[in-house]
Amino acid sequence: MCGLQTENPLEVQIKLIRKYLKLKIMADNESFHGHPQERNHVYDLFKRTVAHGESHSALMIGPRGSGKTTLINSVLQQISKEVDLSNDALVIRLNGLIHSDDKISLKSITAQMQLENAVGDRVFGTFAENLAFLLSCLQSGADRRCKSMLFILEEFDMFCHVGRTQTLLYNLFDITHSAQAPMCVLGVTNRIDVVELLEKRVKSRFSHRHIFIFPNEDSEGAPHAKYRDRLVNTLCLPRTKTVATPKKKGRSRKSTVTSEDLMEIDQETTSLPDSILSRHTDLQNLDQEFLQDWNAHVTGLAEEQKVLDCLEKLCYYTVNEQIFRNVLFELVSKLSVNKPYIDVSDLSAIIDKTVAPEHRVKLLQSLSILELSLVIAMKHGMEIFDGEPMNFEMVLHRYTKFSNSNSSTQTVPRPVILKAFEHLQELEIIMPVRTTDSIYNTTDTTASRVQKEYKLFTLAIPSDDISEAVKNFKALPTEISHWYNNSVV
Amino acid sequence: MEQLQNKVPCREEQLNDLFNLLGDGDECLPCSIFISGSMATGKTLCVNSVLRCLNYKHVIIDCIECYTPKIIFETILSGLEDEEIEVKCETLMDLVNGLNRLQETRLGYDPIVLVFDRAERLRNLDANIMSAFLKLRELCNLNICCIFVTHLIYENFNFRRGAREPIKLYFSNYNKEELFRIIFLQQKPFIHHLLVSYEVDNEIKGELEKPELFANFLNAFLSVFYRPCRDLIELQHMACVNFIKYCEPIIKNEISATDLTKLWRHISPILKSSLELLYLRISDAKSVKPSPGKENSDTDSTPHNFENMLKEELTSTKTFAQSFELPYYAKFLLIAAYLASYNSPMEDKRLFMKNHGKQRKRLQQIKAKAKISEKLNTQLGPKVFTLHRLLAIFYAILEEKIGLTSNLLAQIATLVELKLIAGSKEIDLDTAKYKCIVGYDFIAAVAQTVGFNVRKYLYDFM
Repeated sequence: MCGLQTENPLEVQIKLIRKYLKLKIMADNESFHGHPQERNHVYDLFKRTVAHGESHSALMIGPRGSGKTTLINSVLQQISKEVDLSNDALVIRLNGLIHSDDKISLKSITAQMQLENAVGDRVFGTFAENLAFLLSCLQSGADRRCKSMLFILEEFDMFCHVGRTQTLLYNLFDITHSAQAPMCVLGVTNRIDVVELLEKRVKSRFSHRHIFIFPNEDSEGAPHAKYRDRLVNTLCLPRTKTVATPKKKGRSRKSTVTSEDLMEIDQETTSLPDSILSRHTDLQNLDQEFLQDWNAHVTGLAEEQKVLDCLEKLCYYTVNEQIFRNVLFELVSKLSVNKPYIDVSDLSAIIDKTVAPEHRVKLLQSLSILELSLVIAMKHGMEIFDGEPMNFEMVLHRYTKFSNSNSSTQTVPRPVILKAFEHLQELEIIMPVRTTDSIYNTTDTTASRVQKEYKLFTLAIPSDDISEAVKNFKALPTEISHWYNNSVV
Repeated sequence: MEQLQNKVPCREEQLNDLFNLLGDGDECLPCSIFISGSMATGKTLCVNSVLRCLNYKHVIIDCIECYTPKIIFETILSGLEDEEIEVKCETLMDLVNGLNRLQETRLGYDPIVLVFDRAERLRNLDANIMSAFLKLRELCNLNICCIFVTHLIYENFNFRRGAREPIKLYFSNYNKEELFRIIFLQQKPFIHHLLVSYEVDNEIKGELEKPELFANFLNAFLSVFYRPCRDLIELQHMACVNFIKYCEPIIKNEISATDLTKLWRHISPILKSSLELLYLRISDAKSVKPSPGKENSDTDSTPHNFENMLKEELTSTKTFAQSFELPYYAKFLLIAAYLASYNSPMEDKRLFMKNHGKQRKRLQQIKAKAKISEKLNTQLGPKVFTLHRLLAIFYAILEEKIGLTSNLLAQIATLVELKLIAGSKEIDLDTAKYKCIVGYDFIAAVAQTVGFNVRKYLYDFM
């Protein structure tokens, strides 16, 4: 597996397919499906800004993984085909995660405008002055009118700093109203209430153009049909556009080397807004027959009832495109020589794992029996006292009561139990309660100054998970499951 | 692969998953992987050995060491550089720029993996940092993957704003058989350890090296220790300590190596007693050599004794309590403090006065008598008391009459200093409030030395 190169043509083919599909799943951020209306809207805005020098502002709102960024990428790519984007316009992309304050944003804007030299060591009084200077640089630098600018602000809500002034937003929106320079400001966010976060002066300058993207809006019929189409769409390989080179069979060692060479070229060009699909020259090494076979396999897969059931299950839980891609990625990464085709049971296993990971149950099951007993003791205690938090002494008391009534259990010394309790705390199975404990003045956060035996804790795990864990615990002593089920003693 | 599985036993499934996800050098990496699992389940070991085997460029960031974003960023960038360079990186933007620069200059599309060990610490930093790392692949155009290794599950990381979902893997704990297998691999070092500490003639050495003997020992060992502890590291340590004791009678020719029942009878009390030492890591005095150079030859035995003493003191609260060697009155003061902490002031009259009169039985009191265990004072923890109350109880439990001297008050300050009582060091007669912070076992040991029965004066036990 680790860089082994064999003569087996099947292995080479599988490797190529795997690589190709992985690229398609992970690196393709341009091909966008559905939402034609919204896409046209964005396209229209950008086009008018670039071609006619109009100024606009808009907000794109949609949940995570609904394809907002992909939509923008695909629009930009389309526009770049139609007009000379790199000469006529400047695309400035900011991300709220990275550009966490206005200073950093401005630095990044300067860099993306390639004006670092012009700014030099100049000191500006205000943010607005600085921005105006940048704009004027653009104007004077070029012989004609100022370039159009497309500002794309991802994680837009992060720019609405709570408690600080929204200088950047104010200035950007202000420019869209003045004729200084044609500019389109597009905010991208997943917060539907984002307008409420804006300052009054910012809000009044915003055009209130909203573009909503909801994952299931435009799908007719069953929602999982969309997933099925996407599955086929993603996993099928384009067959027509390549001319198979005759050298691929037999001399696979040679062909992998060449494919890697081609890959180098290929990777440098992926940053170009051209579709990644057409650039994958290593596809040439793929055997046409094999591809046909593969595509037939994928379409056949999509017909199977079991696959449909799995996809339906997935879309009951989530409509997040990124999660779907993760599922596909895991699925594809399981391909190997011994398993050249996608296995339906794999798909269902991965989907089960994704939608209901039950890591919490597994976490409980990897506790030692002593620790699990403490969890059970605590659960019983909290049942009796209506969810009142408990401290170590109370849990210990319950536990010793249990272990005394069962002569078969070995007694464990107190320090070891305390350590087990601390282990639970470390795993955040139990969480400390914030208490304000008397003698020390209230400003002092006293939780740390109470002895650890008396610190109050609550159980941070739902009781269903505990039942599940106890039920399926391997080699659990019977007295413990009995104790659990017969509960309150 | 084979070799790797021998190195990392009992983790075939997880290794396979990791290999599949990380793929080959020219393939795309996933955006981020989230690995969770209890302590000592081989998470870090698996990730590290897989990465080493694949020979990817990777940086391992221990989030305990890198406690500020700046240190994390700089570790990442300098880790990706080939030679040692000072890197300055303050913000995420600098990091992304730095990564992009690296991509242009040298790395190209080579896979890069960032491993965040003990990722639970990332939660203490700015909330956005983790979300940013989760989608680092989107933010910069590298073939980069972030792996988060933590003992918490993903649900414990709540991102206020949501985040890009990682691919999640879970490492479940080793079960008894797997623990047996893993510790069994340690047989050689254990034997070696044994031979270093004892002089053994060849015949017995042969006996000791038999795998059956070790397997028998492990069976006995796990039957005692598996229940309270599944932590591999801890179990390995305890196994090493106990194996020496297991072999002692064989070396001394008291029990033959084949007499399993006798060996079991010999070891089971030892195992039980060493169960108390679990996690405490009090080193066996024999295995610790005093550090050379510092001590003179004639004081060589002192650290040795001291270690033994320390061990004994820590193992039983009783000796620990006695090791304080408090003055007579200080002991009574401490007991008084304990009683004041664990009794409610309402009961003082009844507990400490000779003629407290007849108690009228009212319905309320009868109800209160049916004590609920969870509401017992001894379980709720110590309560606060004033200096007046402390002194009143002190005089009540002390038989003789002594004056209230400054000496006596100084004792209180001493107790505070020794962290037996919590409160202010300065004694202010009116406002000072105290709390006794030692446990019942400790107080019982102290009370025994002055012939006082604490239980008699505790309301909970009446």
